[in-house]
Amino acid sequence: MSIKDKVPVTILTGFLGSGKTTLLNRILSEEHGKRIAVIENEYGEVGIDQGLVINADEEVFEMSNGCICCTVRGDLIRVLGNLMKRRDKFDYVLVETTGLADPGPVAQTFFMDEEISSEFTLDGIVTLVDAAHIDQQLGRSDESSEQVAFADVLVLNKTDLVSDDALNTLESRLRDMNRMTRIIRAENAKVPIETVLNLSAFDLDQILKRRPTFLEPEYPFEWTGVYDLDAGKYELMLEEGPDPEMSLVALANQGESEEELKDGAESSVRLYAEKANSLDPGNTIPYGEHINLKLEDKGNKSFILNIEKQTKIGLFTQHTAEEFNMKVIKSDESKEIPFNTERFWQAEHEHDDEVGSIAIERFGDVDPEKLNTWMGRLLSEKGVDIFRTKGFISYLGNPRRIVFQGVHMLFTAQPDKEWGNEPRRNQLVFIGRNLNEKEMQEGFDKCLI
Amino acid sequence: MPDIEPFSPRGMFHEGWTAEVNDYAIACGWALKGKQFIVGDVAGGIFAFEGDTGKIIWEKENTHSGGLLAMAIHPEGEIFATSGQDGNVQICNCHEGKVIKTLDLGKGWVEHLKWSNDGLFLAIASSKKVYVFNEIGEEKWISEDHPSTVSAITWSNKNELATACYGRVTFFDIVNNKTNQKLEWQGSLVSMELSPDGDIVACGSQDNSVHFWRRSTGMDAEMTGYPGKPSHLSFDDSGKLLATSGSERITVWSFIGNGPEGTMPGELCHHTEPISSLAFSNKGMLVASGSRDGSVVASFLKNDGNGDPVGAAFAGDLVGAISWRPDDCALAAVNAKGVVNVWKFKVRTNLFSKGFK
Repeated sequence: MSIKDKVPVTILTGFLGSGKTTLLNRILSEEHGKRIAVIENEYGEVGIDQGLVINADEEVFEMSNGCICCTVRGDLIRVLGNLMKRRDKFDYVLVETTGLADPGPVAQTFFMDEEISSEFTLDGIVTLVDAAHIDQQLGRSDESSEQVAFADVLVLNKTDLVSDDALNTLESRLRDMNRMTRIIRAENAKVPIETVLNLSAFDLDQILKRRPTFLEPEYPFEWTGVYDLDAGKYELMLEEGPDPEMSLVALANQGESEEELKDGAESSVRLYAEKANSLDPGNTIPYGEHINLKLEDKGNKSFILNIEKQTKIGLFTQHTAEEFNMKVIKSDESKEIPFNTERFWQAEHEHDDEVGSIAIERFGDVDPEKLNTWMGRLLSEKGVDIFRTKGFISYLGNPRRIVFQGVHMLFTAQPDKEWGNEPRRNQLVFIGRNLNEKEMQEGFDKCLI
Repeated sequence: MPDIEPFSPRGMFHEGWTAEVNDYAIACGWALKGKQFIVGDVAGGIFAFEGDTGKIIWEKENTHSGGLLAMAIHPEGEIFATSGQDGNVQICNCHEGKVIKTLDLGKGWVEHLKWSNDGLFLAIASSKKVYVFNEIGEEKWISEDHPSTVSAITWSNKNELATACYGRVTFFDIVNNKTNQKLEWQGSLVSMELSPDGDIVACGSQDNSVHFWRRSTGMDAEMTGYPGKPSHLSFDDSGKLLATSGSERITVWSFIGNGPEGTMPGELCHHTEPISSLAFSNKGMLVASGSRDGSVVASFLKNDGNGDPVGAAFAGDLVGAISWRPDDCALAAVNAKGVVNVWKFKVRTNLFSKGFK
């Protein structure tokens, strides 16, 4: 049976009061041409109006080997086992879990049980969060952060009860925990139906289409400006900004194409790793060095840039130019020279939550055997802490790209479309608890050919 | 070999009859000593056919709102019981299909029904509870809540009922309301069969293994390596062989000698897709299997669990249930499209008039 014949299943999670039943009723009452069977673990609250609804008590079954990755939901196996005999009655399944449900066993059921996985396919995990309460909930319970970590779609519900500032802060906290999720803001669980059903959420292509930068690494700088400067003396002027100092790397001969900018960024990352030399206003900025501009003084501060012959200068700055109203002025003419190109980077920042995401993006091919060994080891050692994995891999010699998806230790790799003219590369995302990014990246790099 | 009769090209399966019910057929069985064949479909339709011809005798629909989950025919074959998602059990008369008694057990699905061998009791599993009623529908016993939904029930002797659920098998003396034995093991047990003498307990487990216990010695063993979960188990009438599903192969464990621990099981590779139903003949070492690919095969087994196919047929679609006629001279299979196939199963020699010995 191909994936197209399998019945898609959406899992709806979220704490009690986050609006699951409201969303469920909305989905059931809307005209979408689907016949939806609902498996409901949460009783009460608001009744479900229509459709084929089956109530079942959550039954979490651990296996004798004690591996939490093998834990499945017995109630789902039973109910879905019956539903698969009634395929003519419905074409979609929604599972509403209880507020305290661990989404792991729910998702694993679709990988672990052969009878279920031969008939059903996990389309996506939708997690509702109550914008007013999720901050406290995240602090108090593992279930809540796991529900966020597992989500393909996060519905940030009840936004009418929270200020825009608070919503922005919350959204960036959630985004930190789960970089591949799509966040949708809603009042009263009012979201477009197509954002929660038929997601093919395990499809990384779609995520990349929505947010092309989500796989990008984080940089120690937020901004780059490239200035085309003739020979002469220039001043870099900064006003007061959010910080009393700012790190900077200036590179000569900086190109403006995306590739050249990325090359420059890579060089700057290496320079940023070195200890910065402090530089007081009035001094000359050296090229190819990590320096720290001292900006404690009030008013305008200026630093000197000396250009011996015409070149393009790239300034890789810790903060954006706008934050300090940073300008390059030609000294003798007192004329501002605007940048030719600017580029913003995903900035590094503190991650407060234990749960987070790691992305690995590398051009080239991997050795399938090395990758298998590495993955096998990684998942057997860290499987408990790795909630979800998605990605594309380029196997040496294989004309098709390989699609990976996993829940905890369970993993599938399937050939997908052909690479064609696209540059061959590898993109992997891991979401989990206390993951060591550097170690995982190094491990992956060893699988590259 | 003068005593061997000629066979048709279908091996041991000879032309019988076919019929159709309205939906995915999930349960079937022979009544009235093989004169009648009853089929239940997932939507709650029940159909009774003449055992020899397939002529419809009676039919009824929507017996259980939400759908049918189980059916069990009384060993005497005069009455049968059905259960469904509506939380009800109906005890019906085989001749006309009339409901004699409806038992309302509440909201939970009623998933398992088993008559005791002497036919005095009907055991019923619904969610975490097990009930025992007598033939006329009077309640005789109710269990306490099990730790999880009860996944299998079977009678070990006339007063003793075995139940399986997550983590354990329990034996209840339902007349004296006593728990006789608890066999514990951390795993989700999805199927259970007892050897005919009641000593060996075999359970298929969600983690793709089969777990055995011997009640007399308390010894247990775990057979791993199945690609899927062994949802279907069947003991032969002597208790020597246990056939198990769990892949497209039938794995047969032999309890002869010191086995099956430390022995290699017999393997029957006749199907291309996983086994979806399995039944030993009432007498002898003949096992019938149905598969998701729609094939039905009967195999004659040796003491070590290996064996050869003696007949095969195509049932058209996933085989939902399979049943030997009480005299083993016919085999029935019902499928996911609601098609009923009954084949005459011809005796092989003049010496043995019924099946194989």
